[in-house]
Amino acid sequence: MANKKIPITRISKFFGAEDFALEQNIGMEWLHGDMHFTLVLFRVDSKLSDVDDVYGESGPEEIRFKVPVEFNAYVKIDEPRLDSYAAGLVKDLEPGNMTLGVYLKHLEELDIDINYGDYIGYPEKEDKMRYYTVTNDGRVTSDNKHTIGGYKAFYRTITCSYVSPNEFKGI
Amino acid sequence: MSLPKKVKKSLNIAPGPIQGHYPDGYDGRTTPNRRRELADLINDDGTFLPKSLLHADLDRGMLDFVQTQLKTVTNGKTINVIDRILTLQRWAEFSQTWKFSTSDKNVNLPFIVVVRKPEVQYGSNPALQYTIPDRKQFHYAKVPTWDGNRKGYDIYTIPQPVPVDITYDIKIICNRMRELNNFNRKTLQTFTSRQAYSFVKGHYIPIVLESIGDESKIDTEDRRYYQQTYQLQLQGFLLDEEEFEVKPAISRELVMFGFDKKNRKKERKNLDVHNPDRVRTNVDFPPGQVTQTIVYDYKNNIRVRRLNNIASVVFEITTLENNYPLTKIVTEEPFLINSGDTLKMTVVKNNPGAARLILDEKLVR
Repeated sequence: MANKKIPITRISKFFGAEDFALEQNIGMEWLHGDMHFTLVLFRVDSKLSDVDDVYGESGPEEIRFKVPVEFNAYVKIDEPRLDSYAAGLVKDLEPGNMTLGVYLKHLEELDIDINYGDYIGYPEKEDKMRYYTVTNDGRVTSDNKHTIGGYKAFYRTITCSYVSPNEFKGI
Repeated sequence: MSLPKKVKKSLNIAPGPIQGHYPDGYDGRTTPNRRRELADLINDDGTFLPKSLLHADLDRGMLDFVQTQLKTVTNGKTINVIDRILTLQRWAEFSQTWKFSTSDKNVNLPFIVVVRKPEVQYGSNPALQYTIPDRKQFHYAKVPTWDGNRKGYDIYTIPQPVPVDITYDIKIICNRMRELNNFNRKTLQTFTSRQAYSFVKGHYIPIVLESIGDESKIDTEDRRYYQQTYQLQLQGFLLDEEEFEVKPAISRELVMFGFDKKNRKKERKNLDVHNPDRVRTNVDFPPGQVTQTIVYDYKNNIRVRRLNNIASVVFEITTLENNYPLTKIVTEEPFLINSGDTLKMTVVKNNPGAARLILDEKLVR
């Protein structure tokens, strides 16, 4: 069933596979060439990670990763949140959530997938990398927003939240 | 008027033994066989000390309990159980559910998940509550030791375990009422007696069914599925091996006395240097009395040393032979008297006043 392909003939009078490819390439050229937001994907290797028998947890030194991959995406980072741990005491100021727009074709070219719980590094400055974890891998792209005119999905929206160095601090 | 037939007219106040291996009833002094059996289970494949029992062990026990005791089969297929206590690490959740997930990486229905409430309360098990203060250590085992020269013992002590109550939500998410029914039947059958037991490292840990709730999504326009929560409370205890103590028992005892030589006030003045084996016994005969008897606790030779106001004396020795008294009159000195014999002395006084007989006694060993 998975190998069986069905041709997409929607709105074919005005739009087709060639148009879709053209639009996609223009967008990718703008995003990857002009914008060039580069991020690093750390995919957790759950088979090699040293996990707890009961909780499946592991410490920062015990997580094993597949080879980190650089990828491009459209990045939107929310405002930092000021909060506290103990009802107004022990303040905690941490970065807001990060939302990424990633071309599906780009992921296919890199032969990677972004999963729930993977870590993403975003170089905030030359000497400072912020790390985020994927809270919504945006795998479901059935809505109109993720398609070009309803023809076919062309990108994923991935939302991430900040992780403290206690959970993940890069490789 | 006679009593109704249902009224018992006699009560057996000494019923037969409950345990076959204690024919006269349990005497309270020996360790019951069942308790020995349980101790063997706790110590199995380990040291002489019990295995430590901490939060993770209790969580594992609950997972095993759900996997085995609440295993539910519908249409020949076992309902999947996520074999981990899910925590904050997102990728860990993903790695545990990928085996039965859809193409969108969502978990395939039906499935059962165990969610632990993070807070662990002080236990409500009355057998363990607030009974012994200050983490006092108690004897657990006495283990023989040998250092090559001396045989000794090590005393193993442990404190009273700390009771804990851990609450778990066992959630079943499914699409069919049959799956709900099967899981419900299995659970209620398991908890017919209100509590069931998880077996963790040799300890039986009670689990109580607290409540059953329904959070099913049955909307007209959205996706529908059943979701029910069975809240279980595990009434366990913590046994931390860090608190166990092993101490050597006493293998040799040395008693020392110290004296202050300068303090002579309390010293006895007339302390005999030698333990004498000769004693002088004065036997007094008040006016009007001519006989005296002495029962001897030791064997000795007796001779007369001095007579005061006595003209003559007759000695009679009474001995018990085969429980019959046998009396003989002494004719010559010294005479031997044995332990347990009775010596009777009869005197003839020179005048009616007081008289005294002085005897020399020599101990015979």
